[in-house]
Amino acid sequence: MAVSFQQIEEKLKTEARRLLESGEVSLVLAWGKGYDEKHPMPYVAKCPSDADGIVFNEYCTHNPARYLVRYPRGTKIAVAVKAADSRAVVQLIQEDKVKRRDLVILGIPVYGIKNPKTGELIDGKTTCGLYNPVLYDVLIGEEVHGQPVSSPYAVLAEYEAMDRDARFAFWKKELDRCIRCYACRKACPMCYCDPCFIDQRKPRWGEKSPEPAGNLMYHLTRFHHLAGRCIDCGECSRACPVDIPLYLFHKKVAKDCEEMFGQAAGMSIEDKPVLVNFRMEDSDKILE
Amino acid sequence: MLKKTTVNQLSDLASALMEKGTLVAPVREDAGFQFREITDAKRVDLNFHNTVISPKSVFFPQTEDFVRYRTGRPMQEAEPVEPQGKPLILFGVRPCDVKSFEIMDIHFSGTGDVDPYWQARREAAAIIGYAFDLGAPAEPEEFYQTLGIGAADPEGSDIFMVRRGDDLLLKSITGKGEALLTGMGGLAGASADDEKFFDDTVAAGRDFKTRFTCVDAEVITKKLEDLFHNTDFWEKASNACLSCGVCTFACPTCYCFDICDETLFQQGTRRRVWDACMFTDFTLEASGHNPRTKVYQRLRQKINHKYSYHVRKYGVISCVGCGRCTRYCPVNIDIFSIVEEAMKA
Amino acid sequence: MRSTNPYIPMPVEIVKITDEVDTHDIKSFRFKFLNAEDESRFQYLPGQFAELSIYGKGESPIGIASSPTEPGYVEFTVQRAGAIVPGLVTAALHDMEEGGKIGLRGPLGHPWPIEFLEKKNIVVVGGGFAFTTLRSLVTYMLHGDNRPRFGDITVIYGARTPGLLCYKDELAAWEKRSDIKTIITVDKGNETWKGREGFVPAVCKDVAPSPENAVAVICGPPVMIKFTLPVFFDLGFSKENILTSLEMRMKCGIGKCGRCNVGYKYVCSDGPVFSLAELEELPRDF
Repeated sequence: MAVSFQQIEEKLKTEARRLLESGEVSLVLAWGKGYDEKHPMPYVAKCPSDADGIVFNEYCTHNPARYLVRYPRGTKIAVAVKAADSRAVVQLIQEDKVKRRDLVILGIPVYGIKNPKTGELIDGKTTCGLYNPVLYDVLIGEEVHGQPVSSPYAVLAEYEAMDRDARFAFWKKELDRCIRCYACRKACPMCYCDPCFIDQRKPRWGEKSPEPAGNLMYHLTRFHHLAGRCIDCGECSRACPVDIPLYLFHKKVAKDCEEMFGQAAGMSIEDKPVLVNFRMEDSDKILE
Repeated sequence: MLKKTTVNQLSDLASALMEKGTLVAPVREDAGFQFREITDAKRVDLNFHNTVISPKSVFFPQTEDFVRYRTGRPMQEAEPVEPQGKPLILFGVRPCDVKSFEIMDIHFSGTGDVDPYWQARREAAAIIGYAFDLGAPAEPEEFYQTLGIGAADPEGSDIFMVRRGDDLLLKSITGKGEALLTGMGGLAGASADDEKFFDDTVAAGRDFKTRFTCVDAEVITKKLEDLFHNTDFWEKASNACLSCGVCTFACPTCYCFDICDETLFQQGTRRRVWDACMFTDFTLEASGHNPRTKVYQRLRQKINHKYSYHVRKYGVISCVGCGRCTRYCPVNIDIFSIVEEAMKA
Repeated sequence: MRSTNPYIPMPVEIVKITDEVDTHDIKSFRFKFLNAEDESRFQYLPGQFAELSIYGKGESPIGIASSPTEPGYVEFTVQRAGAIVPGLVTAALHDMEEGGKIGLRGPLGHPWPIEFLEKKNIVVVGGGFAFTTLRSLVTYMLHGDNRPRFGDITVIYGARTPGLLCYKDELAAWEKRSDIKTIITVDKGNETWKGREGFVPAVCKDVAPSPENAVAVICGPPVMIKFTLPVFFDLGFSKENILTSLEMRMKCGIGKCGRCNVGYKYVCSDGPVFSLAELEELPRDF
């Protein structure tokens, strides 16, 4: 990467300060200092001096787009985004949860973000694998080119080799250890339903106790609610305290959607959500 | 009484303990270490720092059945599930987690109505504590020293273990521990040198460095009371908070629960299930009114519950500095930093 | 011996259902214990509550409307809850008939402080269907054995309309008695209503009970409480002598589940009865 994390951080601070000083936005969503360097955290700057608290380093995995729906409609917000994060912003615009005109998107091309828990490079295995934001108003740094581009679906090879029974057995085993803390849905920028179906009391879709039937109900329904909407940021899997590889299911559904409808989630604000939009030429494969 | 064995003979020790009762010990799983009921002695593994979920789950499981019923049948036919007090040995508990049992005892069995499920399991259990490895630094999330807990404090354990090279020293702390240790074969006697090592470790554990800030129970209670209406403080602290339940589920001293009737094909169970004050619907009333709709209100509730309400109600801080809430927080919210900030306020 | 496990409900049978109001969504349910030892263990005082328990639906905390001076049964006045969040238990109960069986867990919480109330003049102020534990208190105080223990008793009770007044027969009986002063008011009367019209706080101001050796016991919808408390404070009642009962989402009812705290107090086990002095020590929101 030609531009260092340090340079990105400085540029972010400058932009944030400028936007807050000019009153163009009332808050900036980015990353700030955590309890140590390996653990930065999502951060909100509300006044120019808050901009000094912004941090950007290789452990800024979180997706600031997650916080957009927390603020009242019409709030002018600047949001710092990495590649996958920018897709969440685009998808939220498509779904009319935020207005394009209310946002200033600070796009950060970045290579080399690491998972603080494992130290592994975050790439196409657990996220969409893009390096450059798909939409931005201000580019923070320079676009990344020349780095190896891995397919976000390559990781599915092993999973797809399994037959139906094996897949069911795989998910049953993985989901059995879910403790229903709901970190996955809470970390997800697209999980904004209030209330979430699993919290509804009438009808009761799934029980509260972390038992296999309810766990399957919760996760399989959530997987499908995110069909065509998941932008593959991987935050659900990183949020999980018991390391359930949720990204696998999301990727599989995303791949199917892309193959059937020729559209990936959150790539263009001109798109309509793929499962909402009917086109005559749509594939009928879903009915097979 | 001090006895010893070697770490290579750990499964023999586990087998011997399994004869005395149900053994619950750390095992390695895909997602890290967890306390599990042991059926295969070879699975017991002491090469851990700490478990993901705290051992509170042994006495206060995430799901506890109260009554089994059938819908459409007369209510008198329902069968209560009475508390079980079968002998249980909880093996390999870190000192901060041992301390959590004492805090939970005050709530569940020490004041007001007694929770019969907690009490039955607690009374039937022997705790075998295990000193942290003093040769390695504390994890960055840990701050038990702040709460006056040493890395090798034997208090609260029935037997306390210290590792010395490849040896595992076991010392009885209570009568219950002594009886257990006396009745076990396969253990060697310890030398005077071992005795000294054990005592030195306990003493060194008191000075073992974790994150530290001066927190006095009375002072922090007052500070938090004064800060209660400082919305700015709580909004800053909770800007990143996702309102998930990881921190409370992993916590050794969080005890909030829901009571749910879970029915499938007329077969039902009334049970308690862990709940979290961080969940939006925790305080949602049937009228639709919810006194805590905002994220900052819920985080404020959690911090106040641990560092203020609990002190006012029970006289102790309800936190042992194990660091789990911080370690597993998806957005790295750090309770220690919030407490530190509050103390400065 | 039967279990004393506080989480296990005792079986009771519905022996009488009274439709209290013209909107038919508030009914009183009279229960008889199916086991004699449960009945003898269920020793309560006015102001306490219990969890009504229906397997498959859940539990709902409800104030006890009957008085311990009415032996042989225990009675609850229950509103069918849940315009927004479905009130599963209250809906199921409302659909039941006499002879139906449910569970009861309690008595729970602290009662109105009877010893504190003794020898004092008592002003009971209620609104709508929140009058239940006040009905219990008044019935308790009016019992022949108890009446001499208390000074003057004044009841001020209001509802939105005449049809929404609970316990109409008893109110009529109290109005005829000379050892209790009963003032009934409705927000808006109808063609047959000959009584008072006006909101409870305004009526309290109008009646102006003397604060001399007096305690006000106030229960009602939050908005009524909000405007009534200052009236009594202005009349000269001290904060220690103004009592009320709180509501909060509850589950266990015994101070274990951590849900109903206001500040460091649990509404279920430290309350639900609090004096205004105690309430002012607690945070304004929670």
